[in-house]
Amino acid sequence: MAITARTRLVNPRLGTYFGIFTAAFAALFVLALMFEQLGASDGLLRLLMFGGPIVLYAAIGLSSSATEARDFFACGRRVPAFFNGLVLGITALGGAGFLALTGSLFMIGFDAVCLSIAFYAGLVFMGVLFAPFVRKHGAYTLPTFLGRRFESRTVRIVAAAVLSVPILLLLAAEARFAAYAAAWLLGQSERLMAPLVVACAAGIVITGGMRSLTWSSVAQAIAALLALAVPATIIALMVSNLPLPQMTHGNVLRIVTRAEIVNGVPIVLAPPLAFDLPGAGIEPLIKRFVQSFGSVGSLSFVLMSFVAAAGIAASPTLLSRSGTTPGVYEARKSLGWAVLVSGVVLLTLPAIAVYLRAMLLEQVVGHAGDRLPMWFQLLQQAGIASVEAKAQTVRLSAIGFERDAALFALSIAAGFPQVIVYLALAGALAAAMAALAASLMAIASILSEDVVHGLSGETASEAARVGTARLALLGAAFVTIGLAIALPADPLQLFLWSLTLSAATSFPVLLLAIWVKRVNAWGALATMFTGLVVTIFMMLLGEAGAVDTSSALAGAVGLPLALAAGLVASRMTPAPERSALDTVREMRVPGGETLYDRELRLLRLKNRTQT
Amino acid sequence: MMERNERKPYWRHTKMQMLASLLPFVLAMIVLPLYAEALNEKRILGIPLGYFLACHGLAVIGFVTIAVFVNRQDAIDHWHGAHEDF
Repeated sequence: MAITARTRLVNPRLGTYFGIFTAAFAALFVLALMFEQLGASDGLLRLLMFGGPIVLYAAIGLSSSATEARDFFACGRRVPAFFNGLVLGITALGGAGFLALTGSLFMIGFDAVCLSIAFYAGLVFMGVLFAPFVRKHGAYTLPTFLGRRFESRTVRIVAAAVLSVPILLLLAAEARFAAYAAAWLLGQSERLMAPLVVACAAGIVITGGMRSLTWSSVAQAIAALLALAVPATIIALMVSNLPLPQMTHGNVLRIVTRAEIVNGVPIVLAPPLAFDLPGAGIEPLIKRFVQSFGSVGSLSFVLMSFVAAAGIAASPTLLSRSGTTPGVYEARKSLGWAVLVSGVVLLTLPAIAVYLRAMLLEQVVGHAGDRLPMWFQLLQQAGIASVEAKAQTVRLSAIGFERDAALFALSIAAGFPQVIVYLALAGALAAAMAALAASLMAIASILSEDVVHGLSGETASEAARVGTARLALLGAAFVTIGLAIALPADPLQLFLWSLTLSAATSFPVLLLAIWVKRVNAWGALATMFTGLVVTIFMMLLGEAGAVDTSSALAGAVGLPLALAAGLVASRMTPAPERSALDTVREMRVPGGETLYDRELRLLRLKNRTQT
Repeated sequence: MMERNERKPYWRHTKMQMLASLLPFVLAMIVLPLYAEALNEKRILGIPLGYFLACHGLAVIGFVTIAVFVNRQDAIDHWHGAHEDF
């Protein structure tokens, strides 16, 4: 089974299928636009833009069911690099990238760029440091990979427990973002929508596991990209005659800068360790767009971009996807596509932020408080924006804005048809659902593969493994609903905590497992334990205000300490066994059979000879 | 399949490639945002240069880094006979 033609693995009609999906999604959007012009009710349009795409994703997810473990956990290892990269890029961004990052860029301008740097830098790190080796090993989950590399069931169980923490935080964050987008889309409360979106995400992937997840996420990624491109491109055409918002927002940026100077927006310099991202809810706009280090200090900026990049590079949710590519070369290449896709998105978001800021500065700031433009009054009624002093002329510092609403507020501000606003929301919902489903799948496979079946070796039957994973997925969905409703924190904060924890636990242990041969099971345990404890301790200190650093930066302390602890603990204990060294050596070479597949094949042969 | 005695040179080559890919990128990640303010005087496409480099420039550097890495690492694999045999 080692040598199979690549052409036999990859479905040659994938392009056609997703062409059909793109056409269907575009048709749905145009249909809704026409309905709006014909005077259809608002409720119908909302339902169409919420339900229509979800029916399409569900059709894709449910029709690609899987019964074999290889299909259920690794999509049969036949996802071409481009599709894998597309899903990786959009899953990495998720609702946090689409909703919260746009809003942060809009509120604090340049300082939020540390997060966009982190997204693509994380994917670069993942491609160079981890993905090819994890793919060569081919384990379905990261704890399985670590358990095999260190030849220790303890490492496997501990890794399963430790890596679940960032996944659970990510689940809660993405569920909140998805619920937020769905709430605006349907006009319902967020608490009501959280169970609905989690149920949709879990329902789509439950029949086919990774197979359903991959193909429905490709559809979600296409929907998210289209939804992001449409409003931004229309505005770019209106202001510069070129449909490239990423490159042509310069003139608008000049207007923004000039208006900020005229309105006397102060230049503030934050202390190097300050880290003040806008929170959820209505917050004032206080900073100039282009000026750097006004709310995030210079040191925090650099640290944050590294910590979040490390968190994304070693994120258990994203790394389990590298096992789905046909080979090591494709796994590397897919990260290239992922950087390209996320890069294009991350260059569009600042353009959206700049357009919205320009509209605010030109049409609201400096005007009389009782004669504000229609769109701003709409935003005020919706609870997205607020103005403090009513009677006098409006100053920028008097305007408050809801962070996560910036993405779709642009379409409202530009006076677009209501359906384009719903399209932007549907795109954000698609991205958040892709990330949500990926995290659900990651935690379900960890629960089933490492916790339930991990103690007994790989002797469980295929049906039992898939069945357990489906049950685990259901359980994880319920836990997520509970977390999304119970955790009161800002979803962006939850997202950053998840990244900082995965940077301090998953990143160092993977780095040592792959790049340092001498590290043994004790080193791995010490790394994960130190990383988790130090980071949580620093987070608590940061939250309590005992230290100056923000809790989101705790990983910057945890990561180096975890690395050091792992190296020291390995030095003090005996060197790893010869068989463990052989695993590392084979893992480092792309050629040859995938290690995990070979192990399963030999196990099956052994069982056959016994019976 | 690669020769046994090729393993060490292959891994040395791979390590050097990893450093050659990551170090310039990491350096750019640190330097470009820190000096953004100083570069904002100049403009490119109407966008202040410092902001442009930190935002667009780093994204392009990231993509070039990974593209060059994929290409070079594949060449290293073939040179040492470590590539996948499809």
